[in-house]
Amino acid sequence: MFEKIKKDFTTMTWVLIPVAIAINIAIGQIVVLLKLPVFLDSIGTVLVGIVAGPWAGALTGALSNTIWGLFNPDSLPWWPVAFFIGLVAGLCANAGLFKNWWKVILSGFLIALTAAIVSTPISVYLYGGITASGSSFITAYLLQTGQGVLSAVLSTGFLVEPVDKITTAMLAFVIVQGLSKRLVARFPRPENAEVESGNNTTQIIIALVVVVVVVALGFVVRNMLAG
Amino acid sequence: MHERLSFFVKRDSALHPLNPLTKIVLALGIILVSIFSPWYWTSHVLLLVVIVPLVFIGKVATEYFTSALRLILPAAGFIFFMQAFFQPIGQTVIFNFWFLDITQESLLFAFRIATRITVMISAFTLFLLTTHPSELMSDLTRRGLPPQFAYVIISTLQILPQMQAKAQTIIAAQRSRGLDTESTFFKRIGSVVPLVSPLVFGSLVEVEERAIAIEARGFTSKKAKTSLYEISDRSSDKFIRWGLVIFVIISIVLKLWLS
Repeated sequence: MFEKIKKDFTTMTWVLIPVAIAINIAIGQIVVLLKLPVFLDSIGTVLVGIVAGPWAGALTGALSNTIWGLFNPDSLPWWPVAFFIGLVAGLCANAGLFKNWWKVILSGFLIALTAAIVSTPISVYLYGGITASGSSFITAYLLQTGQGVLSAVLSTGFLVEPVDKITTAMLAFVIVQGLSKRLVARFPRPENAEVESGNNTTQIIIALVVVVVVVALGFVVRNMLAG
Repeated sequence: MHERLSFFVKRDSALHPLNPLTKIVLALGIILVSIFSPWYWTSHVLLLVVIVPLVFIGKVATEYFTSALRLILPAAGFIFFMQAFFQPIGQTVIFNFWFLDITQESLLFAFRIATRITVMISAFTLFLLTTHPSELMSDLTRRGLPPQFAYVIISTLQILPQMQAKAQTIIAAQRSRGLDTESTFFKRIGSVVPLVSPLVFGSLVEVEERAIAIEARGFTSKKAKTSLYEISDRSSDKFIRWGLVIFVIISIVLKLWLS
C-alpha cells in the first residue's frame, strides 16, 4: 500500500504540487475578476490528481487551502473538502474517467457530490449552516421553508457544486490535453490522461464548449433564483 | 516583486525566540479551545485575555491591528450579518424584513460565531507574524517531517507572488490588445482561455526544469541533512506545549460531558 503511494511521489510530483497550488489561487483570483458564477479554485488540485494519483491530489488540495488561508482566512476550515476533491479526482482518473469529454462530466459530477457531502458537517458545525459564501442565500431560504439544517445545507451543496466542479474537471482535462506528450510522460501516471478515441484537439474544443454551456446554465439558474 | 510571501516581522520580543512548534501549538490550542468549549463567552474571553495581551508581548500590535482592520473585521462582520439574518432560530423578533428576521437568539448566536472566527484568524495571524516560515520548516524537518513537505510549503510561498505578478502582466497585456474582461457574460467567459492558458502552460513547462535542478542538488537523497541554523527548544517550550494540550483536552471533555 505505502510502496504504491510512494511511487506516485516522484520529484516531478513534488515540484508540480507548489505550481498546482499557485494555479488554484491565481485562477481563482482571475475568475473573481471576471465575475463568473463559479469558483474554479481547484483546477490545479484536479490536475495533480490526474497525472500523479489520488494521494498527491489530496495533499495538493489540503495544502492549497491552508496556504490560501494566509490571505483569505475563511478558506482555512474547508481544507478537508479540498483534500477529498483531490482524492476523488485521482480515483476517477485511475478508473479511466479522464479519457473522454463525456467521462470527464461524470468525474466532475462525482467530485461535486463528494464536495457537497464533505462540506456539510463543516458548514453545520462551524457556521450553523450559514457560511460566508453567496450560496448561503439558498440555504437560508430552505431553512425558512422549515427544512432541517443538515438537509438544507446538503441540498444547497447538491444544487451549487455540480456547475463548479464539472467546469473545473473539464478545464483540468483541457490543460492536460494541451500539454506536450513528452512532458506528461514524465509524471507518474501519464496513462490516466491518454485520450481513448478521436484526436485530442477535437476533445479540447468539445470540452471548452461544454464549459461555456455549463457555466451559462449556472448563470441562468442563478438569475432565475435571484429574480 | 520576487519577494517571498511572508508576514513575519522581525522584533526583539518574548514571543519571537520561542520554538516554532510551541507557537503553532499555541495557535491551534487557542482555536480548538474556542471551538470545543461549551461556555458561551469562551471565545470573547480568549480574544481579550489571551490574544490581545500576546499581541503586545510579541510587539506586533501595529501589524496585528492593521490586519485586523483589513482582513479579520470584514470576514467576521460579514459572517455576523449573514448569521443574524439567516439563522431561523428564536422567537423574540427584533427586526423583520421580507422572509428574514433578526431575533434575540440569532443575534447572540451570530455574535458567538463571529467572535469564534475572529479568534481563529487572530491566533493564526499572531503565529504568522512572529514565526519565520523557514524557521518553522527547518524545525519540523528536524522533528521528522519529510523534507519534501518543507520544500512544497516554502516553494509555494515563493512561486505564489511570482505567479500573481505574472497573472497581472498577462491581464494587462491582453487588455491592451483589446480583450474584453468587463462587458457581457459571454465575452467575459470567452476571455478565460486567453488569460488562463499562457499562465498555466508557462508555469507547467517550468516544472520539468525545476525537477532536474533540485534532483541535481540531492533532493531525493536519503542521507540526513545538516542545517545552517540552530533553533532553540528550551524546557519552558515543552512546558507551554503540554499545558496547552491539557487545556484542549479539558475543553473537549467538558463539551462531551455537558452535552
